[in-house]
Amino acid sequence: MSDTVLRLDGVSKSYGTVQAVDGASLEVDRGEVFTLLGPSGCGKTTTLRLVAGLEDPDGGEITLRGRLVASVARRLFVPPHKRNLGMVFQSYAIWPHMSVFENVAYPLKLRGVRGQAMRDRVAKVLELVGLGGLERRSATLLSGGQMQRLALCRALVYEPDLLLLDEPFSNLDAKLREQMRVELKLLQRRLGITVLFVTHDQIEALSLSNRIAVMSRGRAEQIGSPRSLYEQPASAFVRDFLGQTVILKGRVDRAESQTVAIALDGSLAGQTLAGRIAPGASLSEGAPAHVAVRPEDIEVGSNDRPAARGHTLVGVIEALLFVGDRYEARVALSEEQRILLFLARGGDWREGQQLQLHFPPDVVSVWPA
Amino acid sequence: MACTVVLLAVAFCVVYPLLLVVLESFQVAPPGQPARYGLDGWRAAFAEPLLRAALLNTLKVTVARQVLSLALALLVAWLIARTDLPGRNWIEFAFWAAFFLPTLTVTLSWILLLDPDYGLLNTGLVGLGLVGKGPFDIYSFWGIVWIHVITGSLTVKVILLTPALRNMNAAFEEASRVAGAGTARTALSITIPVMAPVVLSVLLLGTMVSLQTFEVEQVLGAPFRFFVFSTMIYDLVVTRVPRYDAATALAVLVLAAMLPLIFTQQWLTRGRRYTTITGQFQSRRHRLGRWRWPAFALALALTLVVLGVPLAFAVLGTFMKLFGFFNIPDPWTLKNWTTVLADDLFLRSLWNTVVLATGTAVAAVLVHSLIAYIVVRTRFRGRRALDVVSWLPFTVPGVILGLALLWLFLDVAVLRPLYGTMAVLIIAGLISGMPLGVQIVKGGLLQLGGDLEEASRVAGASWWATYRRIVLRLMAPTLVAVGMITFVGAARNIGNIALLATSANRPLSILQLDFIAQRKFEEAMVVACIIMVISLAGALVARVLGLRGGLG
Repeated sequence: MSDTVLRLDGVSKSYGTVQAVDGASLEVDRGEVFTLLGPSGCGKTTTLRLVAGLEDPDGGEITLRGRLVASVARRLFVPPHKRNLGMVFQSYAIWPHMSVFENVAYPLKLRGVRGQAMRDRVAKVLELVGLGGLERRSATLLSGGQMQRLALCRALVYEPDLLLLDEPFSNLDAKLREQMRVELKLLQRRLGITVLFVTHDQIEALSLSNRIAVMSRGRAEQIGSPRSLYEQPASAFVRDFLGQTVILKGRVDRAESQTVAIALDGSLAGQTLAGRIAPGASLSEGAPAHVAVRPEDIEVGSNDRPAARGHTLVGVIEALLFVGDRYEARVALSEEQRILLFLARGGDWREGQQLQLHFPPDVVSVWPA
Repeated sequence: MACTVVLLAVAFCVVYPLLLVVLESFQVAPPGQPARYGLDGWRAAFAEPLLRAALLNTLKVTVARQVLSLALALLVAWLIARTDLPGRNWIEFAFWAAFFLPTLTVTLSWILLLDPDYGLLNTGLVGLGLVGKGPFDIYSFWGIVWIHVITGSLTVKVILLTPALRNMNAAFEEASRVAGAGTARTALSITIPVMAPVVLSVLLLGTMVSLQTFEVEQVLGAPFRFFVFSTMIYDLVVTRVPRYDAATALAVLVLAAMLPLIFTQQWLTRGRRYTTITGQFQSRRHRLGRWRWPAFALALALTLVVLGVPLAFAVLGTFMKLFGFFNIPDPWTLKNWTTVLADDLFLRSLWNTVVLATGTAVAAVLVHSLIAYIVVRTRFRGRRALDVVSWLPFTVPGVILGLALLWLFLDVAVLRPLYGTMAVLIIAGLISGMPLGVQIVKGGLLQLGGDLEEASRVAGASWWATYRRIVLRLMAPTLVAVGMITFVGAARNIGNIALLATSANRPLSILQLDFIAQRKFEEAMVVACIIMVISLAGALVARVLGLRGGLG
């Protein structure tokens, strides 16, 4: 049997004139956490619902464990209850008229598991997430975190081929969210389940996933590991969506094989930076270009302790915000150009202070404008 | 302070008449003689040979119509709210329109079809040679149940259950389907149980209404001596020597049976918060697949039964020389219309109805919204009491409520000059429409959420400015809908005002009753058609203004 659990081939879905999913293709391998990440309206939830069978596609094919479950060409559509999937809803959808036990037992009953076998499996899965002993409690009396665990139990108890998570953490407070993230990661590793996860939160996506598909306008813009997406974004959209990016405008001054020198424009005219050409891009001399760099990759020195020579700009701290683990600073490079910088918590920073900013060429990428 | 005044005023209009009912049940002197108190009325009520039968009949009719209509209403509401049924919006509107049809008119229309001797269905089947004798008899237990199901019972349940089903969080169902349950299993195991509080509350409401209707039993039951509680009470009141003591004693029994239902209803609606919208993904409707057209056929058939047949036959009836006799030579005539329209009495009644309906609607919007506002939004200590009081008009049969109001207007010296004026009928309509009106406004206010008002207050608006510029604006559709429902209710009201109306303030609905009493069915149908036109116009306005709220 192949190791591919889920495959989407050019799947499309539109609502009226809105193209929610536009030819999305991707594969999810067994045992991995695969995340659909994107801003709201990018089609990630619709994609998940297409996989679940809660929507039917207008185009393309969906294959689950080598079995075709939706195909527009063959007019085939397997309803959700015949797909053997588990799903955790954003609102949890804990059935209010059932107890904790009944909520978890329901899918087992539908599969003909009864009696002691059923009770054992329910108890085991509840124990797994720390809900043991709450079997008889009414589901409406649970806290948000407990409801989420219960929803997870209900989706896992019948060992589905694929677990679908639709923004499961968005209704929890920040502290609980972090805790549940770790719990889910451990649980997933222990059980080896395959997960398709939908979120708009990049921290969740980067920390939980084996692979991420960044979605935009109904398509998977780029698919890769969290680190490769963060460090080698293939498009401006992915670059700007993941993390913070400082962007400066200029023209190509000198192009060599891998690195290019850029003469900055506008108020920064006369200054030069260098960087790697973005993947897939080609730049000729004199072409307009964007210089992109992650704020945390900029090396900061002060006037009395200058940073390394070359590839350096001078800036003045305009506004300084202490956010706990570091400072976030708005730094003016000129009258018109301002950038975001992260400053170490231990430093002695003040507004109005002049900084030497070093842009190491190996962390700077250059994009066609 | 202001709240206390409202509570006292409402209590005076509602509780005082009910106290009069209780008191009157012990007042044994015949009408017109000095009061004398004793237990004769209660004895007479219990000695009434028909009591046991009437009690049993009431129970049988209530159970039969509630069970049948609930099952059908759940199916129809689910089809409209949760599936891809073709034409579902039109079907929903048809049930709205049918809800506004006067019961009496629907009853008369069906007599044309199901009369054992002359009914078209019966004569048709006999004519085809399929049967020797018409199989249907509307003057029977099942005839009465049938009319009840297709009038109030079914339509009101569809109207109340559809928005509730529509607003249910779709993820409850989706979770079940992903977990492995098909459409039918999901509907039975998840959808209906999740809706149980709403369903039960609708069922209780229906039971309360069905314990007090009387037109259907009066028209269909009397010919075969089939009595229910309300017609028995009516009989005791309209005989030559009215037995008010016995009639009110029976009414007190009904009241005692109703109170627990009200408290259960209130308790149920309090704990049903989880069925409201959560602002999640709008769910795809269940695909009916090959059941799509059979389901549509069923819905269409029901629509025809509740709306099409009554409308068509009511109009047909007005053109008949002899109501119900299709087999006489040349049965058609325009004479009924010309007689009625030329009648002075008709024109006066039409004017009275317009005044009555408009006046009741305006008064209801003001009073019912004020009561609902106090109950929902204020910290007034008596708000629970006010809530319960607003339910009380549901607890006694309409005839008895009318009787109690009659005593109120005759006994209290300051109110006596009002007797015989439109004001009396307007107050009666206001009180009898109170339970439904207050419930609907309450539902709207609960959906509105208090923070919109608080934002206005914090922004510097006074309470009155907030009420005018925020609450009334946002509630406008609901309030207009309450106004329309009350308008239509007042236009077709019979039970509550039958005893209150005099020749000076007689509206169309009572004129229709008078025509029926004189066996002038053709003229009665003409009046019925005019009431129907007024009612359907009201339904259309309410629909356009989008009344979607269910129970509060």
